[in-house]
Amino acid sequence: MKGYLAFLKKELFEYAKTYKLFIMLIIFAVFGITNPLIAKLMPEIVKSFITDGVVITLPEPSAYDAWTQFFKNATQMGLIVMVILFSGVLSSELSKGTLINLLTKGLFRTAVILSKYTCMVLVWTISIVLCFGLTYGYTVYLFPQGETSNLLFSVFCLWLFGLFLLAALLFSATLTGNSYGGLLITGAVVVVCMIMNIIPNVHRYNPISLATDNMGLVLNSIEASSLYSTIMISCLLSLIFVSLSIVIFRKKQL
Amino acid sequence: MGVLEIKQLYKSFGNREVLKGLDMDVPEHSIFGFVGQNGAGKTTTMKIILGLLKPDSGSVTVCGEKVTYGESKANRHIGFLPDVPEFYGYMNPMEYLKLCGEIAGLSKTRIKSKSEELLELVGLKDQKKRIGGFSRGMKQRLGIAQALLNEPKLLICDEPTSALDPIGRKEILDILLAAKGKTTIVFSTHILSDVERICDRIAVLHDGKLALCGTLSEIKERHRLHGFILEFESEETASCFENAEELKQPLISLSRDGSTVKVLMKDCDMDGHFLLGVLSQKRIVPLKFAVMEPTLESLFIEVVR
Amino acid sequence: MDLATLKEYLPFLVPLVIAQLALAITALVHVLRHPRYRFGNKVMWVLVVLFIQFIGPALYFAFGRGEE
Repeated sequence: MKGYLAFLKKELFEYAKTYKLFIMLIIFAVFGITNPLIAKLMPEIVKSFITDGVVITLPEPSAYDAWTQFFKNATQMGLIVMVILFSGVLSSELSKGTLINLLTKGLFRTAVILSKYTCMVLVWTISIVLCFGLTYGYTVYLFPQGETSNLLFSVFCLWLFGLFLLAALLFSATLTGNSYGGLLITGAVVVVCMIMNIIPNVHRYNPISLATDNMGLVLNSIEASSLYSTIMISCLLSLIFVSLSIVIFRKKQL
Repeated sequence: MGVLEIKQLYKSFGNREVLKGLDMDVPEHSIFGFVGQNGAGKTTTMKIILGLLKPDSGSVTVCGEKVTYGESKANRHIGFLPDVPEFYGYMNPMEYLKLCGEIAGLSKTRIKSKSEELLELVGLKDQKKRIGGFSRGMKQRLGIAQALLNEPKLLICDEPTSALDPIGRKEILDILLAAKGKTTIVFSTHILSDVERICDRIAVLHDGKLALCGTLSEIKERHRLHGFILEFESEETASCFENAEELKQPLISLSRDGSTVKVLMKDCDMDGHFLLGVLSQKRIVPLKFAVMEPTLESLFIEVVR
Repeated sequence: MDLATLKEYLPFLVPLVIAQLALAITALVHVLRHPRYRFGNKVMWVLVVLFIQFIGPALYFAFGRGEE
């Protein structure tokens, strides 16, 4: 336990000192601000592309558009940035051998994996909260009469998908021991989830629904309860990924 | 009972057998030189002791506690200095030792006092620079400081001096000598002069087993050559002695280089008295009469060949 | 765009500009003070960091910065 806390502190210190935390926060803050802005400016942008003679009537932008931007940016760009930034989570320590000193001091390997996962989850949580807060604030400012449903639940789903993705990243990084292998397997996991989504009955249990059904939830076209099984599955899969990482890492020859 | 006991250790990588039944026993408060050629399996042995590698068979106990692969509880008795210690480049020495101390479970005040003491010992006391900008020698010294932080009963150093210049080497050896008495030190090397300088016991690893093991004086005694070096005032007296009838025996081999004669005797019963007898009979007084001491180097080469 | 619209978007523009400047300056300082990179050279990274908005500094810190 004390090893876990000490190592967690080191991880946070590392993200701060290597500017990774700073970059995550700035990028998610920028997303947070631009989401409502793009929604507001969209009609103007479209207009500037249209030549005379063609008439397209665009609906007045609303809070929904801001949230569409939020779920699109955060899921696509945000998650990609996060996975890339965290891809070296284990590989740099393994290739340089920085863990040897600490492991021979009595640090448990389980604690290494758990604190690395905790730290990634913490950074992701702070980033998504920051992004959500900014988008929420500016959306209220720009579209005062916007009504949304299930907003918090929808963001929670996205957050949970981030947890799932991080667990997959940790697992693949432990398995391959290098950052490119880690990225590759994580990418493969996402692609497999997307392909599985084609099968109609799988959609209910597929973790990726957590990142694709968000707007449906906000527009109330999807029932919150329809995602409960997905949430269960995602938690279970994340747990399995993290446990497997521990098992593999404990058997790894360093 | 020894601090470190290794019994019948086997390890192979692919079909290359590195350790073939290694037995080793390190008694308390010794500086134990673990000598072997490059690739003899020194690092492999150390990594097995630390639970970083899995042995094929055999057992290792540290302070009576069995080493298990992966999560080794025995590690809390051990301080380890890898051959090229690696640190987090963004930390300074104090921050790094604080992290190590927290992991080892020391109290805050203890970490602070111990860190200051150790940084003083290794000469990095006023170093506020990040470790990223450290030289090889500085990293090695910080490596010793981190290894000694939790006051281990056993300090294991993997080739602590081989990558350093003569001054850096001397510094490291002095630090190790200073740590003697507080802890037992096992250090691997292929630099024999380092061993002679600080070790009281050595073990030579060759072909996956210990080819030689014991205290330095014991080993030298055991491998004493029955040889003498005689120096004369002129070449004539030297050749006069060399050609003495009494020395023309199959058990005695002579070699002369200028006015110096080397005598090697294969018969253990024959000793210096015999040569002295010959000398007094010929009425020759040599300038120098010395027993040939085996050097560690000659021993090592003899064993490894 | 007239002055009124500009004023309307000021609450957006100010934080965005600040964020971009903060990123670019931090990265620029790092590029200049640590002249060893995993690949590329100083001139390249200065240009990347200054002229590719947001992504440039992120790329530098994720891939460009050398080991300390």
